[in-house]
Amino acid sequence: MWFVARRLLHAVPLLFCVVVLNFVLIAATPGDPVTILVGDFPAPPGYVEQVKREFGLDQPIYVQLMRYLGHVLTGDLGYSFANRQPVSTLILGRLAATLELTLTALLLASLLGIALGMLAARWRGSWLDSGVQGIASTGYSIPDFWLGQLLILVFSIWLGWLPSQGNMSVRGAPEGFAGFLDHLRYLLLPALALSFRYLALIARITRAAMLEVLSADFILAARSRGASETSVMITHALRNAAAPVITVIGYNLGFILAGSALIETVFGWPGIGRLLFDSISRRDYPVMMAILLMVSVTVVLANLATDILHRAIDPRVGDR
Amino acid sequence: MSAPLNPQAEAIATSRGPGFLRRLCRSRTAMLALGFIGLVILLAALAPFVAGHDPMVGGDDAMLPPLSPGHWLGTDDLGRDVWAQTVYGARVSLMVGLVTALFAVSIGVVVGGLAGYYGGWVDTVLMRVSEFFQTLPRFVLALIVIALFGSGLWKVIFVIAILSWPQTARLVRASVSSLRQQPFVDAARVGGMGDRALLLREILPNVAAPIIVTGSLDVAAAILLEAGLGFFGLGDPNHISWGSMLNEAQQYLRIAWWMSLFPGLAIALTVLSFNVLGDALNDALNPRSRVRS
Amino acid sequence: MTRIDKLAFGRRQALGALAFAGLALRPGLGHATGGSGTVVAAIDNDPPTLNPGISTDYATGEIAAKIYESLVWLDVESTPQPSLATSWEAASDGRTYSFKLRQGVTWHDGKPFTAADVKFTFDEVLGKLHPRMAAVLKSLGAVIETPDDHTAVFRLQRGYAPFLVQMTVFDAPILPKHLFEGTNIPAAPASQAPVGTGPFKFQEWNRGANIRLTRNENYWDKPKPYLAEVVFQIVPQAANRSAGLQTGELDVVSDFYMPKPDLPRLMRDASLQNRQGINIPAIWFAMFNTKSPVFAQKEARQAVAMAVDRPRLVQQVMRGIARPGVGAFGDGFKWLVNADVSYDKKYPLDATKAKALLEKAGYDGSPIRMVFDAARPQLRSEAQIIRENLRAIGMDVQLEPLERSVMLDRVFAKREFDITLQSFFSAGDPAIGYTRLYATTTSGTNNNASGYSNPKVDELLAEAATAPDRDRRAALYKELQVILNEDLPSLVLFDEETVNVATKRVSGLWSSVDARDRWAGVRIQGN
Repeated sequence: MWFVARRLLHAVPLLFCVVVLNFVLIAATPGDPVTILVGDFPAPPGYVEQVKREFGLDQPIYVQLMRYLGHVLTGDLGYSFANRQPVSTLILGRLAATLELTLTALLLASLLGIALGMLAARWRGSWLDSGVQGIASTGYSIPDFWLGQLLILVFSIWLGWLPSQGNMSVRGAPEGFAGFLDHLRYLLLPALALSFRYLALIARITRAAMLEVLSADFILAARSRGASETSVMITHALRNAAAPVITVIGYNLGFILAGSALIETVFGWPGIGRLLFDSISRRDYPVMMAILLMVSVTVVLANLATDILHRAIDPRVGDR
Repeated sequence: MSAPLNPQAEAIATSRGPGFLRRLCRSRTAMLALGFIGLVILLAALAPFVAGHDPMVGGDDAMLPPLSPGHWLGTDDLGRDVWAQTVYGARVSLMVGLVTALFAVSIGVVVGGLAGYYGGWVDTVLMRVSEFFQTLPRFVLALIVIALFGSGLWKVIFVIAILSWPQTARLVRASVSSLRQQPFVDAARVGGMGDRALLLREILPNVAAPIIVTGSLDVAAAILLEAGLGFFGLGDPNHISWGSMLNEAQQYLRIAWWMSLFPGLAIALTVLSFNVLGDALNDALNPRSRVRS
Repeated sequence: MTRIDKLAFGRRQALGALAFAGLALRPGLGHATGGSGTVVAAIDNDPPTLNPGISTDYATGEIAAKIYESLVWLDVESTPQPSLATSWEAASDGRTYSFKLRQGVTWHDGKPFTAADVKFTFDEVLGKLHPRMAAVLKSLGAVIETPDDHTAVFRLQRGYAPFLVQMTVFDAPILPKHLFEGTNIPAAPASQAPVGTGPFKFQEWNRGANIRLTRNENYWDKPKPYLAEVVFQIVPQAANRSAGLQTGELDVVSDFYMPKPDLPRLMRDASLQNRQGINIPAIWFAMFNTKSPVFAQKEARQAVAMAVDRPRLVQQVMRGIARPGVGAFGDGFKWLVNADVSYDKKYPLDATKAKALLEKAGYDGSPIRMVFDAARPQLRSEAQIIRENLRAIGMDVQLEPLERSVMLDRVFAKREFDITLQSFFSAGDPAIGYTRLYATTTSGTNNNASGYSNPKVDELLAEAATAPDRDRRAALYKELQVILNEDLPSLVLFDEETVNVATKRVSGLWSSVDARDRWAGVRIQGN
């Protein structure tokens, strides 16, 4: 318990720094958000002032920061100029799409990665092992957005099997099971593209962890007791190899979220990453800050959760 | 995108046993990777002689498919030669990769060395700072910074470097703090050696090997990150880079696939080579933990 | 085209087929009576507001043009036609316009439309908040009188030739006084859920998905509107918009939302129709900073004109859908083009001559900063070609794509650039959009940042903007081209041509110069 509390306490200043950094960074940039707001033509001066007042942009910068901090603490992430909506509403509206994509990718990466890693470890040195290692090396060298382009090229343009853009039919998803299937067609390619890198990583870690465990005494003992190979692999080896694998998955949760920005852009997936890209071009400060904050918070929380989980699984892990 | 990507980096020990080079040379993949990196460096250096075209000069022959006369990898939407662009693009990618890694490693060594050697509050503060940097989502932050402050080769290098050092710092810190207690360091200290000399002459040389390993992985990560920025349209427009080529290819995927295929392949193979090399170096340095080869 | 029964039958059939194909729209569709069919048009994102009185956002205009109306609309020749005004009279000095307003028009909430709405809209919304009109109305010193409920009289301090063509729904939509009076207009509920007099009523806004409009049963121009529903589907991916047209999931896509590389393919598709080249004139140009050391010399600017391959820009940047620039105002307004001093005559492609001119200008090889909006991929291609052309004559061009607001600041406020790539459009009349390109200005965005200031030009532009007679105006603009094509504060690269695309099932589209306007007469078959 003490450990959990300390880790939590530790996370607070970290998050505070993230908020301040976001704000300072964006406040220090050239350009004026008002110019975007008022449109293409010379704006009448009265209007510019009105817009500035409306959004508190006429206040000194530290007042804006203080106000922003206060708002963040109360869960108010500000108001999006460009979208004329509260930022939290905007982000929540996009969150589902991003979570769907990232969690599918993570699930895909974990299942396939663990399976491949186990197979490679079981038949170490075989062609299978070499194949898995090849996938592992390629997986985290290939730019995921280019992989996305390739998938589009092959499966959408050449074969015409799957759609390349968006997350539902242009006229909206149909209801019921048909809608689910419709959705799945759109999800498959981006999830695959996003998962590949993590699949590679997980396969690699699983293989390494399994190899270490497989040479341990208790495995030899189990084998000598006549336990079946499947049982050895799953009940003994995998359970003991789980800790490092979970660590890798946990530590990557936040990064996969950030990485989806590129994939969402390639596939026109209407999630947070796409929102980030739009906000950057529209110079929508509060949205940019909120997304950066959200990703950072996810990273901190995921790391925290991973540490705790890691400890629970493997009590040998001491405090860092 | 940072530490978790290369989990083995944390596990690198400081031993640098004999036969290191021999083990390295024995790995066929490592030699292949090294060869490819050499080839890319050579092409980048000799770009004006091997490109055959000015990569920035196009013409009316737009979107010619590969194997067209005079353009064996085809041309892009403005009639520029894809091979020439790919060759010149290598310059930017390598430069970003190598310079960034150098920056990142330098900062990392200084921070990690200080934290590991002095320990105490110095260690606490520096490690908190590095932890803070590790918490930041690198790609998202780089994206925002470049988008807001405008693009440029050096800005890109600077931003990536600033976001890349913590990993090296943690690694160096771990090695230094364990070395600090070694008998030979104690001996030197007793012999009257100052802190600075001790760090520079006794400790750092012993950390050099793992630094080279992370450096090599840093190069790969930086090339990927730069490609990502370029793909978002945030590359330096005055240099040809693979990422920017992919950005332009995006809207022509249906019409001119070759605009995407070749620069993407170049990134993938170069990054792969640096990663493989990093792994091979690591294996060669730590024969006991050779679980991967 | 009044086969209502047949259309209704066709629609039921088609609905069944759609449901079978798993493509049926959500329930609630088509319960409106009188009209039939749903047209689905694409937009790229949620619009910032649905109040066209305070924004010139393209999507805002696209949607609002179906909900709101204005005093006049412009036909394809940009001639004003009656809308909320049934007739009008202009005094011979061009300083008084008297509009007779249509009677029996009601707002979608049932309240009657009167002259008070017109006065309120101009005084409180357009005159204060409209990005384009506020400045125009202020400089004209417009005063609006309403002698009775169905008359609005505009008294201007000076004549302004394009006054009538600017009374469109995009520049001068008439808003309901009873809903906006006393509110903070940008935040008023009616800015999100608009209430107009137009053919379609606002139904719902599903953020990130679509905006639905239904037929206005009480529309004044019976039996219009013919459609039961108009849906604006948000399709963020450009490639999906063109693909959607080909699969029939989308019915209409405005040029603004069309990915240029796909256009040649769509224009060949037999199931699609398109309208090319009828649009609000728009020119893409390179503006020189005449205060910069290099481009202070006219010869340096002329050298650029001789080096830049305008036909190649058209071919590769616009995929052939544009017209190479001919002079200071392009050729979007045919009546003002001065062929005697056209670029083709004055500046044929000639690298040798260009180099000589550059030498004469004393260019020392210093870097040229070319600034443009990074968010527009076409400008990126344009910049790359121009860089290539200018390198060929020995200029060292550095591209500086900047985030939009930074670009506006750098170019129009600080004027820190050598060349900037921009595009301006001019709705209905050159005085609206092109005067700002050459008139002496010291501040404000999207105008003459070149630093070029010529009293003679200012004088001619002012007269061309106020003279009521078209022939006189044409003569003035031709005289302007003689000066401007020689001085070249900006080099017009090409005239934009838009291509609006729709499936062939839709008819009655595009009766106005702005493809977004006039949807009361639109029909769809088999839906």
